Amino acid sequence: MSRSADALLDGPVSDLAAAVRSRTVRAADVVEASLARVHLASDRLGAFLHVAGAEARRAAEEVDRRAAAGDALPLAGVPLAVKDNINVAGLPSTAGSRLLEGFVAPDDATCVARLVRAGAVVVAKTNCDEFGMGSSNENSGFRPVRNPWDLTRVPGGSSGGSAAAVAAGAVPLALGTDTGGSVRQPAALCGLAGWKPTYGRVSRYGLIAFASSFDQAGALARTVADAALAFALMSGVDARDSTTLATPVPDVLGGLGGTIAGTRIGLLAEAETAEGGLHPDVAASFEATAAALRSAGATVRRVSVPRVSMAVPVYYLTATAEASSNLARFDGVRYGARKGGATLSELYRTTRSTGFGPEVKRRILLGTFALSSGYHDAYYGRAQKVRALLARDFAAAFGEVDAILCPTSPEPAFRLGAKTGDPLSMYLADVFTVPPSLAGLPAVSVPSGFSADGLPIGMQFVGPADSEPLLFRLARAVEAAAGVTGRRPPGPVT
Amino acid sequence: MKIDRDLVAKVARLAALELSPGEETELSGQLTRIVEHFEALRAVPENLLAGAPDAPAAPLRADAAEGGSPGRLVESNAPEFAHGHFVVPRVVSRD
Repeated sequence: MSRSADALLDGPVSDLAAAVRSRTVRAADVVEASLARVHLASDRLGAFLHVAGAEARRAAEEVDRRAAAGDALPLAGVPLAVKDNINVAGLPSTAGSRLLEGFVAPDDATCVARLVRAGAVVVAKTNCDEFGMGSSNENSGFRPVRNPWDLTRVPGGSSGGSAAAVAAGAVPLALGTDTGGSVRQPAALCGLAGWKPTYGRVSRYGLIAFASSFDQAGALARTVADAALAFALMSGVDARDSTTLATPVPDVLGGLGGTIAGTRIGLLAEAETAEGGLHPDVAASFEATAAALRSAGATVRRVSVPRVSMAVPVYYLTATAEASSNLARFDGVRYGARKGGATLSELYRTTRSTGFGPEVKRRILLGTFALSSGYHDAYYGRAQKVRALLARDFAAAFGEVDAILCPTSPEPAFRLGAKTGDPLSMYLADVFTVPPSLAGLPAVSVPSGFSADGLPIGMQFVGPADSEPLLFRLARAVEAAAGVTGRRPPGPVT
Repeated sequence: MKIDRDLVAKVARLAALELSPGEETELSGQLTRIVEHFEALRAVPENLLAGAPDAPAAPLRADAAEGGSPGRLVESNAPEFAHGHFVVPRVVSRD
């Protein structure tokens, strides 16, 4: 492995790809350097469930051949980590669940295929909360993930392995899925840029479903430019996902470094009254970010989205209801490692009861309750109606402002075990990430600073449908003002 | 509302989950706390709920079959595969 190949892992994705395209460095050497870092980080962080060494080396050789042939490869040789609920052909997909141990994906998810076509090389599948259900990565069926900034703390979830992998420098880019914040929250807790698209902008083909009216694929990277590049390459209509949007993909790269002068920013009023309050360092970063936006010429004012205060109950009643339906397929007959049973119903029960972890069972039960006879109207039905009102609240707010700013998480990374005994307190940590998910809106999280004890803090921009170009531009402005991109976590990898 | 152990057991049956008595007790407490917290939704006035629009319908695609077999990897993921078929447990049973 050359020293330059290793060093390229710490720079912009576009520089790495340009070096491979120009044959200054071989993709094979870059991938070897990445695999070495993956191995260094693996035991320390618990971020990986499967390292695809042989497959990655073969794929890198192919990228080198394509580069030599002059193929336009915007991600030439870029090592990619993929959350384990996203399929990669020939590699295991467990979604962090013991129930899917041994399952090998028959083909690539569309978002993976598009990045691989652009020259990316999948080096590993990353650990996650089981079926994407969690905000700390402590609900993995295999092991928890640790935050590279402080190994006693969580990386966030459910895409915690992807976040830890990028933050530790093992890969420059990782894929995640975001149902209620599972890309944005770990991005914030690990000091990364992360996004969820407008509902339908990125294909879900090849994703293991949790809650289908919410689930979206997203990406995590060290910089906004790298995250935006992934959006540009992943987005677009897909015949294999009928919910994808057929409208043109908005151009997020053209105006990325452009001015934000004159942009109307709304500071989410409900952030000040969020249940449990804001950590003081997060509140200070929120204020500093607003000030930075003003200095850059934006108009900043408070804006209210009243039903944000009800977003957590609405989300946890509707998403769990969808999960109870989606996860019915894991019964040992259609999917899942089959476990004994003299009768069919006993086989179902045994397979599911031994395969699912405690949080998945809890959510299936909550969702089944919300849908059950006698309770449906009071819980699921009411939550769906409030969900529609929340979407209407956002639409009204976007009549006054172009984008809304709020913290991504009310607190920096918390300690492992701090919330595992109290599921409700874990759910309440999602207070700022679930509102755009409920309304199908795009959102971008960007590093905005650090807490007094050295933990990353992230801010989230939310905009109307298809406003990704504006959201990435705003995030880029915050990134430049915060000046934290160069700061790296301690440890042997970086 | 209180989600007592009987209700937990009923919902578990609906969800094809088997819980130990200890799990039922623990989940009863946790789900009660969660559901009681979520009853904040009752504060939304009925007149507002009545005007809430339905969620937009998902777009439909043409109902057309696509070619291609599921492939050998799909077969290898199945617990049992024989004579070109997935082998599953007997569906009609006495329980």
